[in-house]
Amino acid sequence: MEHLRRPWPAAHALGRRRALTAPVAAGALVRLLAERLEVDLRHLWTDEDTVEYQVDAARAHDVLRTLRDDEDLAFFMLADAGAVDYGTGERFEVVYHLFSWKHPSWLRIRARVDRADPRVPTITDLWEGAMFHEREMYDMMGIVFEGNRDLRRIYMSPDYRSFPHRKDFVLPDDAADSAAAGVLPLERPETWDLTRFNQAPDVTFPPSDLREDAPAEAVEDGETLGDKSRPR
Amino acid sequence: MTKIDPETRIPDPIELDRIEEDRLRAVAGLAPMRSPGGEYAGFDQVGIPDRPPQTEREREIYAIEEGEMLINMGPQHPSTHGVMRLLVKVRGEIVVDIDPVLGYLHRGIEKLCENATYTTVLTYVDPMDYLSTMHNEHAPAIAFEKLYGVRPPKRAEYIRALVVELNRVFSHGLMMGFLALDMGGLTPILYAFINRDEIVDLLSAISGQRMLFNFFRVGGVNFDTNDEFLSRLGTWRSNVMKNIEMNERMITDNEIFRARTIDMGTLSGQDAISLGVTGPNLRASGVPFDVRRAHPYSIYNELEFDVITQPGGDSYARYLQRIAEIKQSIHLIDQIIDKMPHGPVQAQVPGIIRPKPGRAYAAIESPRGLYSVYAISDGGPNPYRFRMRDPSFISLQAMPKLMPGRLVADTMAIMASLDPVMGGVDK
Repeated sequence: MEHLRRPWPAAHALGRRRALTAPVAAGALVRLLAERLEVDLRHLWTDEDTVEYQVDAARAHDVLRTLRDDEDLAFFMLADAGAVDYGTGERFEVVYHLFSWKHPSWLRIRARVDRADPRVPTITDLWEGAMFHEREMYDMMGIVFEGNRDLRRIYMSPDYRSFPHRKDFVLPDDAADSAAAGVLPLERPETWDLTRFNQAPDVTFPPSDLREDAPAEAVEDGETLGDKSRPR
Repeated sequence: MTKIDPETRIPDPIELDRIEEDRLRAVAGLAPMRSPGGEYAGFDQVGIPDRPPQTEREREIYAIEEGEMLINMGPQHPSTHGVMRLLVKVRGEIVVDIDPVLGYLHRGIEKLCENATYTTVLTYVDPMDYLSTMHNEHAPAIAFEKLYGVRPPKRAEYIRALVVELNRVFSHGLMMGFLALDMGGLTPILYAFINRDEIVDLLSAISGQRMLFNFFRVGGVNFDTNDEFLSRLGTWRSNVMKNIEMNERMITDNEIFRARTIDMGTLSGQDAISLGVTGPNLRASGVPFDVRRAHPYSIYNELEFDVITQPGGDSYARYLQRIAEIKQSIHLIDQIIDKMPHGPVQAQVPGIIRPKPGRAYAAIESPRGLYSVYAISDGGPNPYRFRMRDPSFISLQAMPKLMPGRLVADTMAIMASLDPVMGGVDK
């Protein structure tokens, strides 16, 4: 736990980190993960600068705590937390990206969530900064974070009832048709009273000089002025 | 000289008003007004919604004790750096608790991007953090290049780094101006805007747009450098140090500025990491985390620079950090110009791309911190999921930690030192 007390190296000792075409370093991280978390290697995946690990949502909190507190792993920083919707009948995923000084790769934890009953243990006890991430995921996807003490909508108003980032939420033009739509009548265009826009003003314009003489010649030829000005 | 008797009580102007009102009421034959009464009845309940609190935290904020009241700063407050509301619980002039209420600028950019092709996504992200437009395009461009499996040519990488550092200079320069402005100093912001306009003219010379540059493409940049850009760059470079130092002289040693920033809003490195604060704000708390060094992207591995930190962690340290980073960026620009190779600026990439199904994560160092993009492709012409992590959105969480015990007038001064941009906060 020493690294948690002062988890950063001195600036002058930082040096230059290796270029990221380093599958060897990623391999070291994969081996370490397999050892510390007892993971199934089928759930691990790497690309040029990311190591990815899939877990069940129920395990996500324990995995993240191990990753943060283990001295060799030392993923002290939560870089990002966002949710992905894989569509109706499929699943949600809560995706965490972590950073550590000791490894050159980003670590991505993909936590699978049941779409019918989306519940994930909160990680605000590990990183206070996960609060806005979780509030955003709740607001946009409707994922409930158990144990979060401030789980309310962050962008939309408190009386809003839809989850706009779900895949079955159609864009506002046809939001009323959307399966996820619980929108209020105010937001349904078909309920708007637009009659005042349909009443055309009864105004006659006074004849101007321009109107009297301008298009006469062109109409005789059966052409418009626009056609004449065009090169032939 | 008349001596003021220490026993004489100088009445409060509000109390004088009340005395005068009572006198007039007595003339009119009315009983003296009781406070709170009449139309002011229930004023201590203002701001509390007429629904039960939804969460523990909300209950905490809306629990008003004797002598406390809730005030709203914003959403139309002139110094909230955009449209944002701070719900402030005060005891007299002292802030007890503070809760940022967001969403006034929410446009659903992530959802829009999921319905746009990969190339047009790069135009949608522009108005997010409108002071670091180039940075906004950089992370998606890198992510899409990873998805599509293409690398931009070397010269394109150098031009990207050049425009991105230019953007950083004006963004940090504006922060210095806004910070002084929020403390009542009007002059520095005027000079900051002069410096900023020079750079904006530069960037519009290379990109053709003034604010929302739309300069990055998947696999390169839109245009190569041109004569106007390079000649303007030379003029700007010969003057910029002088201008920055003038701005610095104007602010740094100002007595009021120092009194209102030193030891104000102190954030420890531990707390900053826990709260997800990144960028200059984190480095001002002594943590040398800079994505350009910690996880190098683009050409930052080829450039010489050190991660700058400040020991203080207060508003003043955050201000000093910005100045140091401006100078560092100018130093980087010099190196980029020296090393810039010849060659094409755009790889052969079609206008509509269909990357193979996969996932990519790209993080960059924006003027406000770690800005990252997580893009998922399902093989179609638009991203299946496009997730952005905006640094000012996350940094705002530090406010409830920094404010308690400070004066109401310091709210804006401390928030300005965190330098949030609401376009990015609300996405």
